[in-house]
Amino acid sequence: MADRAGIGLRAPHFAEIERDRPAAGFLEIHAENHLAPSPATQAVDRLRAHYAFSVHAVGLSLGAVDGPDGAHLARVAALAKRLEPAWISDHLSWSTSGGRYFNDLLPLPYTEEALDVVVRNLGRVQEALGRPIAVENPSCYLGFVHSTLSEPAFLTELARRSGCSLLLDVNNVVVTAHNLGLDPRDWLEGLPAAAISQYHLAGHAVNDADGRPILIDDHGSRVSEAVWTLYGEAVRRFGPRLTLIEWDTDLPPLAVLLDEAGRADGVAAASGRHARAA
Amino acid sequence: MLALRELQAAFAGHLGGADRADLLAVVADGAIPAAARLAVHRHHVQASLGAALAATFPTVEALVGPDFFRRMARDFVRHHLPSQPVLAEYGEDFPSFIAGYEPASGLPYLSESAGLDWALNLALQAPMGTPLTAADLAAIPAEHLPAMTLRMASGACVIRSAYPLDRIRQASQSHDEATVDLNSGPCDLLIMRRLEDSTFVSLSAGEAAFVAGLLDGATLEAAAGAAFQADPAFDLTGCFARLLALGAFAALQ
Repeated sequence: MADRAGIGLRAPHFAEIERDRPAAGFLEIHAENHLAPSPATQAVDRLRAHYAFSVHAVGLSLGAVDGPDGAHLARVAALAKRLEPAWISDHLSWSTSGGRYFNDLLPLPYTEEALDVVVRNLGRVQEALGRPIAVENPSCYLGFVHSTLSEPAFLTELARRSGCSLLLDVNNVVVTAHNLGLDPRDWLEGLPAAAISQYHLAGHAVNDADGRPILIDDHGSRVSEAVWTLYGEAVRRFGPRLTLIEWDTDLPPLAVLLDEAGRADGVAAASGRHARAA
Repeated sequence: MLALRELQAAFAGHLGGADRADLLAVVADGAIPAAARLAVHRHHVQASLGAALAATFPTVEALVGPDFFRRMARDFVRHHLPSQPVLAEYGEDFPSFIAGYEPASGLPYLSESAGLDWALNLALQAPMGTPLTAADLAAIPAEHLPAMTLRMASGACVIRSAYPLDRIRQASQSHDEATVDLNSGPCDLLIMRRLEDSTFVSLSAGEAAFVAGLLDGATLEAAAGAAFQADPAFDLTGCFARLLALGAFAALQ
């Protein structure tokens, strides 16, 4: 585990990070932005000597009934082989159907059928990558009437059957709980601490849905107070873990990301256990 | 209840703009109606793919403005969803879509401007290879040159247009009020990968014919023949020196 929180590595910050090498616990990249040999990939190659990397995929489509796209999986596996990142993750969602890619983390019904599909897909992915990955709880805007498992129960069973670890996105818990009328503390109940390998923290937007507020996971602002509070709660329950500050839209100056990462370190420390170096 | 396969097919239909009563029936309402919940996903797909297209086609967005671009992108996305998750590789069909897009028919240079944006985007994703140097070239016996083929650097391509695409792109990206005389074309451009970006340079008609020939795999003799046909005053030595200085040739294998 890194000894402090990490930040996303985004193109507008490449030059500043290369020049100043700020003290971040690790850098995170989206797999799908680094599959071609572009200048972005060159920047990562140069920074590898100075930072640990987390490869966060958004397009493996772990919940697709037809499984992950073989060509895309092969590209992500080639990236992982070349970059040797410390951590690889994707989401409990699907994003492909009928050969089309929707660029959204689409919701699954939490049923035994869906669990079988995700376990099978995850088996293919982990075999191609040669290691277990972390699977993140998505931000939910809807639930299905025929779900028979809660989301935490589904994730717990997924980790048990597939050997994956769980990436607990605390912002997504707050977003999901608000949108689906759940208590975020209840949501944490029953998750197996041993399976949780990472936390994600991010900002969300409040939009209007037919006159009712709906929270949107847009990664476009500072982490909200509700998320900080729940993060402290999660660290008290499950212990400190690798923690990432995510920010993808309306990217702020690098100093703001580092400030948020510093606050995450403070919250983790204040919850009673200091993060330890790996 | 829908089996997962049917549910995902119905959801895909919804994202493409269809009304799917079968999907609506399995989404829980709660404080927010199911239809408004589903609309979040439809909106995200359209908006995020529109933003991806705007990033890849900055000239087009600057020429038509963000509101028009958003509508045009939405109409494109509806019928041309990506086939894979790498968004920098999405939009190959956008230039030809624009060519047939009736609301943009008053801007006949828009499709070709999109073609230039796409070529610059492709070059940016190309591997940065080692360029051929003058010393490499000098080491080749002169009598071997005519029958040789030379590979252009990875990502290189030629765009030939009746419109001054270079000035249109420069004016669109400089945010000044410069006017471009649309009759000041045609233009021939060489698009190339550089270390930290991609760029284009103007070619003479002869140079464009020469490079286009090499890109097609023609021998140096045949490419030079095409160049002289395009421009009897074509300066082969000067063209070679210029392309070498640009790093436009790939090193010999």
